[in-house]
Order: sequence, then C-alpha cells, then structure tokens
Amino acid sequence: MVVGAVSADRRIEDLLRDLAPRVLGTLVRRHGQFDACEDAVQEALLAAAVRWPAEGVPDRPRAWLLTVAVRSLVDGWRGESARRRREASAVALDPAGRQPAHAEAAEHDDTLVLLFLCCHPALSPPSQLALTLRAVGGLTTAQVASAFLVPEAAMAKRVTRAKQRIRSAGARFELPPQPAWSERLGVVLHVLYLVFNEGYTASSGPELNRADLTAEAVRLTRLLHRLLPGEGEVAGLLALMLLTDARRAARTDADGSIVPLADQRRELWDTAAIAEGQALLTRTLGRGPVGPYQLQAAVAAVHDEALTAEETDWPQILALYDVLTQVAPGPLVTLSRAVALAMAHGPRAGLALLGTLDSDQRTANTHRVDAVRAHLLERAGDRAAAREYYLRAARKTASLPEQRYLALRAACLGQPSSPTDAAD
Amino acid sequence: MKYMIMMFAGLGAATETRTPEWIAGMHELLMKLDGELREAGELVASERLLDPSLATTVRFRDGAPLPTDGPFAEVKESLAGYWLAEVSEERALEIASQVVAYTEYPMEVRRVMDMSSEL
Repeated sequence: MVVGAVSADRRIEDLLRDLAPRVLGTLVRRHGQFDACEDAVQEALLAAAVRWPAEGVPDRPRAWLLTVAVRSLVDGWRGESARRRREASAVALDPAGRQPAHAEAAEHDDTLVLLFLCCHPALSPPSQLALTLRAVGGLTTAQVASAFLVPEAAMAKRVTRAKQRIRSAGARFELPPQPAWSERLGVVLHVLYLVFNEGYTASSGPELNRADLTAEAVRLTRLLHRLLPGEGEVAGLLALMLLTDARRAARTDADGSIVPLADQRRELWDTAAIAEGQALLTRTLGRGPVGPYQLQAAVAAVHDEALTAEETDWPQILALYDVLTQVAPGPLVTLSRAVALAMAHGPRAGLALLGTLDSDQRTANTHRVDAVRAHLLERAGDRAAAREYYLRAARKTASLPEQRYLALRAACLGQPSSPTDAAD
Repeated sequence: MKYMIMMFAGLGAATETRTPEWIAGMHELLMKLDGELREAGELVASERLLDPSLATTVRFRDGAPLPTDGPFAEVKESLAGYWLAEVSEERALEIASQVVAYTEYPMEVRRVMDMSSEL
C-alpha cells in the first residue's frame, strides 16, 4: 500500500536524521577532520536513503552508517596526494583526546559539541543555519537548498566554505570553556530561532516545504533541551516555538494570505502543542534568571490562553514587555510594547511610544514600525493616515504575503467608509 | 529556449488606487500562472524585487563609484519581478498577455542569451 510505503520511508528518514549527528560525532572523535568526516557522513546518509527502503533497515543501523562513512573517508584520503594529506592532518581538528568512560554519555555529548561547532561565531548566520541543518539535522544538501530556495550547487559551496572557516578559525572538537559558554549557547539558540522563523514566516503554495524547517527547529531545540535540561533559556525557546507554531493552521487562509492574530479561527490552534508549551514554561519560570526567550514564550502563552481575541489579557502582556524592556531592550521590543500599550490603554498611548522609534536608525528601513503605526492609526479612526502608513509598509517589506496583506489593508481604507467600519 | 517575462514597478504603484477585490484578483491570477509554469516544469526561476524606492544606484562620479539612493530609471520603469521560463516565444507572450489583459499594465518578454552556438 502506498500509505504504508510512505510511512516506512518516513520512519527511515526519521531514523537517519536521529543517527546523523551521533555517527558524525563518533567519526570526528576517532579521526579528527570535522570537514572530511561531515562529507563522509553525508555520503553514508545518501547511500542509506537509497538502499534501506529497498533492502530493509540493517540490524545495526548506526554501525552500518559508521562503516559506510569510514569507507568514504578512507577513499577520500586515498584520492588526495600525500602533500595534501600532510597539510590536512596538520590543521585537522584536534579530537579532545580524553576517552569518556561511558560510551552512551559520550554519544550525547558529541551532538552538543557538533551543535556548538556548527554555530561557530566565525560563521555568518546563513552558514551557521546551513551547516547545523546538514551536520546536526541530518538533512541532505538538496533538502537544505530547497528549504532556503537557493540552487543546490550554491548550498554545497556554502557548506564547504563554512567548514573551511571553522578549520581556519582553529576550532576544536570540544565544548566551549566556561567564560565563553553562555555567549556560545546564545548563538546556538539564535541559530535555532532563525531556522524556526525561516520556516514560520513562509506561506503555503510553492514554498510549502519551508514549513518543514519549523518542525526541524522544534526537533533540534527539543534535542538541545534534553541535553541541557537545566538551561532556562533553552526551555524558554522550545516553549516559544511550541506556543507559536500551535497557531500555524490558523495563520494563513486558503490562498496563503496572512490572517492576523485577532482574526484567527482559534479552534484551529493545536491544543496539544499549547499544553506542552505551557507545562514547559510553568516548570521553567522562576527556577533561574528569566531571559528573553522565556518572556516571549510567556507572551505567546497569554495569547494562546485567550478563547477569543477580546479575552486577551493585555495588561499582563504589557507587564511582560515591561520586564523584557529591562532584560533585553531593543527597538523590536519597544514595537511590541507599543502594541500592548495600545491594547491596554488605547491607540494614542501606543502611538506616543512608537514616536520614540522615529529617530532609531535600526528600524529606519524595516516595514514593521510603519505597519504597527498604520494599525494603531486605523484603531484611532484616522483612516487617511492609516492608509498612507500601510502603503509605506507595503513598499518596504521583503515578504510577499506581508506585502499582499498590507496592500489589501490600504485598499480597504481607500474605500468609502461602510457602516460596520464606523461602528468598530 | 529561455525567456524572461518581466513586470515593472509601475504596476505596484497602479495597485495603490485599486479595490481590495481587484488586488486579490491580480494575486490570484499571478499565483495561477506561477502554478501552471511550475506544474509544467517550465519555470526556471521567479523572483519579486523590493520596491524600487528602496534601491541604491551605484554611479561613477568624480573618478570613483558613488552609491546614491533611488533607482537608475524612473520608478515606473524599474524591474519589479520576473519569471524565467523554458518555453517557446509564443507561450511566453501568452503568459504576459494574460497578465496584461487583467492589469492593463505593460510587460516585457526577452529571450535569454545562450552559451552554445546557434544551431
């Protein structure tokens, strides 16, 4: 049956993705050379993806992958000249050397080490994302390329270049030491957050495959949370993803247009994801220092708790943004706080706060300030000004669905005001 | 043969005075054509560009390159988006005609140059 075959393939893919970082970790620890090992694992994954569905999953899938990867690695070494080989070993990543007593624990540690390595600060965010998805996520170059809508050859180059950079930065295959730990964990979380956003902001239609990025970000953050259960911000990020992704089905309508939070059909929200996010947040808040991801997750939870948009507890959201302003101030926090302020105390209060962003160079070229101002002006009843700011925002946005949404809002305000609008 | 089917920014400016229904209808048409090109395996690439008012033009001034705000051409004549498709000229013109029939705004169809010699 086709359905059976599809789910069997799906199971194989899940297994491969789960094994990928563990096989890679073992290989790098044995042979050094993250660069070559990563290519070898990619080869082994491709071979398994072709052979396992036809021949069945081997009894020891991890050992199978390891064997094929080692063979590919050795073939690669044989293919190189002796001079190249000497060069490569001179700059090879130094395996930490210490053989951990407990093999199982070592396996887990390696996934974490890999994640830190792929999110190395020497790399640009697009490279960090690509390498993380390939080396830790176990995605093929073709899958990563299609998710980011770039040609496969370009993505292959990006990955190769990223690995060269890691090597020339002198990175070691070990966890960062304590002073740098928090900062490096921050980068890892940011990369996972970007992967999530990349998938979440995509719409339906031809870009449907990008939604898989959201699931992948959740999967990797879940993995990180399992490895670091005591890190509040890891739990916070996972909760934020779950509580945000829970609204996915309601976020766009049939033709892929954006549906704003207030207009969403809340019965489409994923209650299981909301419950999981809330439970995670409840366990985390108050246990340690509160960070931006926990606070954003708390805001998402307040939204998710409201059965209707009118029931939203805006004073509580405003209070959360007040704390966020203390913990991690920035123009986007001010923007969100302006919305909460408007909802709690009226649009004019929100507009006044927005005014403080006018001279901020960091938001000068984004459409967000204009879009929020347009919304608040519309709520304040100033249709002409609202229309002007919707059009401004539509011109500035780089997102096609957002552009459509903003242009439509402007067009609606260009119409003669209807009795229902006046009553609003 | 590859053809580039181009839209210009004037179309965006023209939508600013249209009704929501007209704008929705235009997006529907563009999505439909995009879907057809994709389904048929004809689409090589398609992109939309940000509004030309946000463009930067780099000019040669006083012996050095000088970036200045704004597009090279008039905003109306600036490229806004394109389809790159492996199709006959007839098909490329037919696609463009369907858009123009709705928007009443001009489109340009150009053949892409080839690396191999003409047969």
